[in-house]
Amino acid sequence: MTLHRRTLLGGIGISALAVPVARAQSAAFRFGLAMPLTGGQATYGQDQVKAAQWAIEDINNAGGINGKPLAAIVLDTQADAQTGIQAATRLASVEKVPAFVTAWSEVVKAVAPIANDSKVVELSVGANSADIAKLGDYVYTTFPLAAVDITAVARYAATTMDKQRAAVLYINNETGTVAAQIYRDVFTKAGGKVVAYEAYDPKATDWTGTLLKVRMALPDIIHIQGLVADTPQVIAQMRQLGISQPISSYSAIYNPKLIQQLGPAANNVIATSLAPGVDNSPAVKAYVERWTKEVGREPNGLPYTQYLYDAPYLVAAVFKSLDDKKIPITGENFRKEMLAIRTFDLPLTGKLTFADDHTVSKRVYLMRVTDGAWTQLAVVD
Amino acid sequence: MEYIYAIAILMALYVILATSFNFIIGYGGLISIAHPVFYALGAYSSALLARDMGVPVFLAIPAGGLIALIASVAVALPSLRISGDYLLIASIGFQLGILELIKNLPWTGGSGGLTNIPSFLTQTAGREAYVAFAVAAAIGSVLLLRWIAQGPYGRAMSAMRDDELAFAALGRNAMTMKIAIFALGSSLAGLAGGIYVHYFRFIAPGQFDILQSSALLTMVVVGGLRSTWGPIVGAIALEALPQAITFVNLPPSVLGPLQGILFTSLVLIFMFVRPQGLIAASERWHGRNEEVRDARRA
Repeated sequence: MTLHRRTLLGGIGISALAVPVARAQSAAFRFGLAMPLTGGQATYGQDQVKAAQWAIEDINNAGGINGKPLAAIVLDTQADAQTGIQAATRLASVEKVPAFVTAWSEVVKAVAPIANDSKVVELSVGANSADIAKLGDYVYTTFPLAAVDITAVARYAATTMDKQRAAVLYINNETGTVAAQIYRDVFTKAGGKVVAYEAYDPKATDWTGTLLKVRMALPDIIHIQGLVADTPQVIAQMRQLGISQPISSYSAIYNPKLIQQLGPAANNVIATSLAPGVDNSPAVKAYVERWTKEVGREPNGLPYTQYLYDAPYLVAAVFKSLDDKKIPITGENFRKEMLAIRTFDLPLTGKLTFADDHTVSKRVYLMRVTDGAWTQLAVVD
Repeated sequence: MEYIYAIAILMALYVILATSFNFIIGYGGLISIAHPVFYALGAYSSALLARDMGVPVFLAIPAGGLIALIASVAVALPSLRISGDYLLIASIGFQLGILELIKNLPWTGGSGGLTNIPSFLTQTAGREAYVAFAVAAAIGSVLLLRWIAQGPYGRAMSAMRDDELAFAALGRNAMTMKIAIFALGSSLAGLAGGIYVHYFRFIAPGQFDILQSSALLTMVVVGGLRSTWGPIVGAIALEALPQAITFVNLPPSVLGPLQGILFTSLVLIFMFVRPQGLIAASERWHGRNEEVRDARRA
């Protein structure tokens, strides 16, 4: 029984430690940030949280929101549905934030009932599942869904690059299945032929069998719809097997790490970016320089971190508008005001307009690895 | 309060899962790790029956338990006939197979998960009613399994687990008993799945994989195998602890490893220092080997 009592006392002690932190932040405009800080996706989640925290710092250094600071309650989702549910429930019912930012399709979908029931705005920033548009009144995305960039890259391959035969290789999860279907449909409609359509298991570490089937199909181009963790490995194995055709993918692999990981094998890999790059925007150039200066490297998944940097600016604009009009800060009012503003001019990703179907549309930047560096191949509106 | 309610419901569900898993592996001595797949079967069946077939939720939830029961008998019948260890292999195969099926069938929502699942009680009677429902289901499950384990059938289970040959020599049918234990434990997991899905209203196959099996095993081992209170304490402690840690304002670089180290350490500490778990099993449920060891020590 002694152990029992100690556990109980420990729990009370831990809970007590949290109280002063909550009180210190009570004067600020608060929103939630539920992202993977641990687990397999933490490398990306942590960089995205850092970007959001820099934005909050910059907003507060510039005077905050009508003199009051902006603060984020950061919770870990591990990119896992159940952990995400617990984080979102806590943000809505304990922290009582009017809005929270989250990412990763499975988490975005899992926490949608909580957002809708609690009337708290859920902003999906980075997930691209097509289902996100249909998750309810309180779920919005600031990131274009899969249809936007996958349509652009498939159409570009079939028309501008004049590729007739495509192989589609996709991870068998939410990220892969829907986007692979979009690619297949768009490529076929644009006059091309999908000669191989192969799925691989999310836990797979060897893709030899699938890749040999792809090679046998003699494609002109190979589209890979995987995750940031597995796609470089698939490409590496592909090159080892002598598959030298151009490879296309989506925004997840637009990452300096890909070139470090693959070396010369990365050449002729095409990715999409849904945000302007260093060549298109002085603000993005300064942002990347800040990463290099303060962290010593470029961020993992640069465009995603750009969207996360911009999210607090969007939240701050809604808070400011509510505060100016002396409207109480609730989830319902936050949603109404966000839709009333509707168009936001954001520092790193440009203009964002919420469509009636809760989605946004953006310009697609096609990037290609040439001589060991990402270069802009085309811009698709 | 919704946060407290969500945690309370999860604790109640993990009590059902850990208690029923303890019934199978502890009291029954059946080596299986596929418990989460029966949880998944209950959750998916209940959700699909209510969402796509219009079955009232109060009927869909027990139907989920029933479907888990039927599936467990289907797994147990061939695998238990050969030898106990084959149940472990069959259960892993069954778990992986069912999860792959769920991932690849369009009507299950595939790997992206199932959404738009109807809620139950929360809209009409409030969230408190759902908490009471989940807690009542947990108490009912614990009392039912305790009643079985401590009654005459429990004594027969003990005998079967300790010496199957002697048990059979007495004219008892070990196979029927094993199947009954496996089916009852699995159906309770299915029932828990139904209760889960109509509150949280989203499920994805990734929630029911091998990691979930290891979490349940940890709850039973840390709490105490073959005891009534052990899995209850294990489930509540291991559900509450990660939540409590998140309230401490630790940097993510510390929080992640801390959670991992905590769970690994708990299992190691309990294996070496207190193998019987937090709550030790009563005398009757000490295994034969443990009794022999105790006798030698004496």
